[in-house]
Amino acid sequence: MSVQASNKRQEEVGESQRGVLRPVEKRTITVAVAGNPNAGKSTLINAIAGTKLHVGNWPGVTVEKKEASFDYGGRRIKLVDLPGTYSLSPYTQEEIIARDYLVHERPDLIINVVDATNLERNLYLTVQLMELGIPVVMALNIYDEAEAKGYRIDVQGIEQMLGITVVPTSATRKSGLDELLQSVLATADDPAGHIPQQLNYGEDIEAAAQFMAESLHKSHPSLVDKYPKRWLLLKLMEGDGNLQKEVNIGQEALLDEALHHLKRAHGEDIEAVMADTRYSLASGLTREVLQKPELRKTELTEKIDRVVLNRFLGIPIFLAAMWITFKLTFDLSKPFSDWIGTMISGPFKRWAEALVGFIHAPDWTASLVTDGIISGVGNVLVFVPVIFAMMFFITFLEGSGYMARAAFVMDRAMHAIGLHGKSFIPMLLGFGCNVPAIYATRTLENQRDKTLTALLIPLMSCGARLPVYVVFIGAFFPSHAGTVLWSLYVMGIALAIMMGFIFKRTLFRGEAPMFIMELPPYRMPTFRSLMIHTWEKGKHFLIKAGTYILAFSVIAWFLLNLPWGVEHKKDSYLGQVGQVVAPALKPLGFGQWEAGSSLIAGLVAKEIVVGTMAEIYVKKDEDKKKEKPTFAEDLKEVGISFAKASKDSLANVVSTAGITSISADESAEKAAERNPLREELKKQYTPLGAYAFIVFVLLYIPCVVAIVAMVQELGSWKWFGVTFVYQMALAWGAAFIVYQGGRLLGLGG
Amino acid sequence: MMPLGLLNSGEQGEIVAIRLQNTSHSVQCCTENNKCDCRVEDMGLRIGKKVEMLNNGGGGPLLLKVDESRIAVARGIAMKIMIKEVTR
Repeated sequence: MSVQASNKRQEEVGESQRGVLRPVEKRTITVAVAGNPNAGKSTLINAIAGTKLHVGNWPGVTVEKKEASFDYGGRRIKLVDLPGTYSLSPYTQEEIIARDYLVHERPDLIINVVDATNLERNLYLTVQLMELGIPVVMALNIYDEAEAKGYRIDVQGIEQMLGITVVPTSATRKSGLDELLQSVLATADDPAGHIPQQLNYGEDIEAAAQFMAESLHKSHPSLVDKYPKRWLLLKLMEGDGNLQKEVNIGQEALLDEALHHLKRAHGEDIEAVMADTRYSLASGLTREVLQKPELRKTELTEKIDRVVLNRFLGIPIFLAAMWITFKLTFDLSKPFSDWIGTMISGPFKRWAEALVGFIHAPDWTASLVTDGIISGVGNVLVFVPVIFAMMFFITFLEGSGYMARAAFVMDRAMHAIGLHGKSFIPMLLGFGCNVPAIYATRTLENQRDKTLTALLIPLMSCGARLPVYVVFIGAFFPSHAGTVLWSLYVMGIALAIMMGFIFKRTLFRGEAPMFIMELPPYRMPTFRSLMIHTWEKGKHFLIKAGTYILAFSVIAWFLLNLPWGVEHKKDSYLGQVGQVVAPALKPLGFGQWEAGSSLIAGLVAKEIVVGTMAEIYVKKDEDKKKEKPTFAEDLKEVGISFAKASKDSLANVVSTAGITSISADESAEKAAERNPLREELKKQYTPLGAYAFIVFVLLYIPCVVAIVAMVQELGSWKWFGVTFVYQMALAWGAAFIVYQGGRLLGLGG
Repeated sequence: MMPLGLLNSGEQGEIVAIRLQNTSHSVQCCTENNKCDCRVEDMGLRIGKKVEMLNNGGGGPLLLKVDESRIAVARGIAMKIMIKEVTR
């Protein structure tokens, strides 16, 4: 049977080669890259393909798919990165993606990335890959660390026993990569000579397989050509549910007969027997080829873990690490965000105005371009520094191995709201800005955690809501500013815990997933991989969110300025909508149309609430218009202020000032400029109504960017619907309780 | 025989039985909208394996060393994996 199988495979290969009309040299070699999580797979691919990497999603799921095509040795090679898996069983999304690709797309060969410091478990996957009958080249990765540990690995021994090429590599040091690609070419040129050895699974399994092979040939001849034969047989025998569905062979007489003896000898659970067989092959092979030094020193990783995971020190250390990350992110990026903001509202707007004036475009185009498009794009661009800085630090924490520890440490506390430790990080980031926080949920393993976390993130009061609080607090509660501000943040957290409880018992009913994950050894991430992964994470935001934001900004502009030539903002579409929603907001203590309009405008970005109110309430000061600076002056300003931003950014990192102090100072300045607005607000709202208003601002939909991020990350509009409904209900409910409750308590209306 | 979850930090044991619900020993977290890598056995926790408890600090998950990897496991799983204690 073994001879038959490999002959058959050789014939297939021969045929497909004969069938290709183009010369072999011109054909693209498709290479699937498979391996365990933490085996250094993505580092290896980055080291090989670098910037040619194309990141997308596997169809229908939110698992990342990386591909890279490049020329090497005069040939074209296409690398397809399969999700990291421990096995090819059909139990997780990653496993299913990996095996479907290998079975149905049939790559020319597989690069199996193996962690040399942890051979046994990695070889378990290798054994399964070999069942597919596709040539395998093993990248024995992290070889330098294995050597440093004093491991002696018999590379030729693995090659002989498995019948595959083995190349020791170190992706972080970029060694062995050329040899690896050479082996890929050599294997691709002679696939038939590189079919992996067919391992012997023991008498009973082999006998059953033989019997099955013969019966299948008669009953389902088409199947035998469609699937890798060995794999088909083994999977049918172990009762692989997905495959049974695919081929329509389930509990049939054929199977019963073949498995009769096997079941009598080993019990009903063939899958377990098969897993044991594979594992003992991996384990036996490891024993043959690996020599470990006798004395094992306590490794650095364990020493660090003893401190970092200590039951008393763990949480303080984690919080400190998070605080530093958080602070560095905002300190580094804030000056650049501000710079982009001022540049866009200043010089760029003026240039655009000049340009539009130059071509004698009608007034409304000028307004559309400057107030709609440029402001809109500006809204996106100011997020760019924050997002990239945050993604950089997250990538660093991930790459260094600390992220997994953070999950470990916070796991217990997060169980209360039906989540795992890992979810804590995105939620914390939400206090800075909800958008990168939602993007950060992609570091979570499973869809349930990801969705639930993303749903709760908007309740973390982000930096953009602060200006609104500051204006209202400044007008109504100047003597209790700190307490009022604190109450808002605490309310957000308390409601997040409450919603977590509710979601856990409704939409996300059922077991919270059991926590089991590997904590990789600490490693210093390479600068190159940091850069590549940061770019990958941030790029999504730039491209996709950018297009949506632009569209929404243009829509908002139209709403505020149409019908064209409106004298009063009240008559604009936005004003009209404000009037429509006003009655619904009346029980909350802010039933003025201005409040409604501002809140709607605030959907684009919360900062806009203040801007819109200022525009509506405060009459435009025409005298304010200063002399327009010349183009050259503008250009100079752009340069100087960029230099200043860079300097501030560096100074921030060095300084020890708190994050809040920086943003609060900034907002206080802004607020001071809007003093006329404060006076107007005092006339329009009662203190209780004002507090209800800021509670509403805290709780309703954060902004369009966050929504886009959510739709993008969760892959459907359904969860947007859930967020929209629950946040609106929560915001309305909370504001209602605050206002009506306050009135009952006699706090005035 | 004792549950793995009762080992103290620094102690070692050998896995003798895994009592997770279904026959394939997969933890029941793998529902349709829930991808995860929780097959205990794929992570190297199998019968006959020596494990070392690295961190069992009261509540929360515990940290094991199996072969050359560190595996964090929820207490719920650890209580269903039976071991016999091994003295060094």
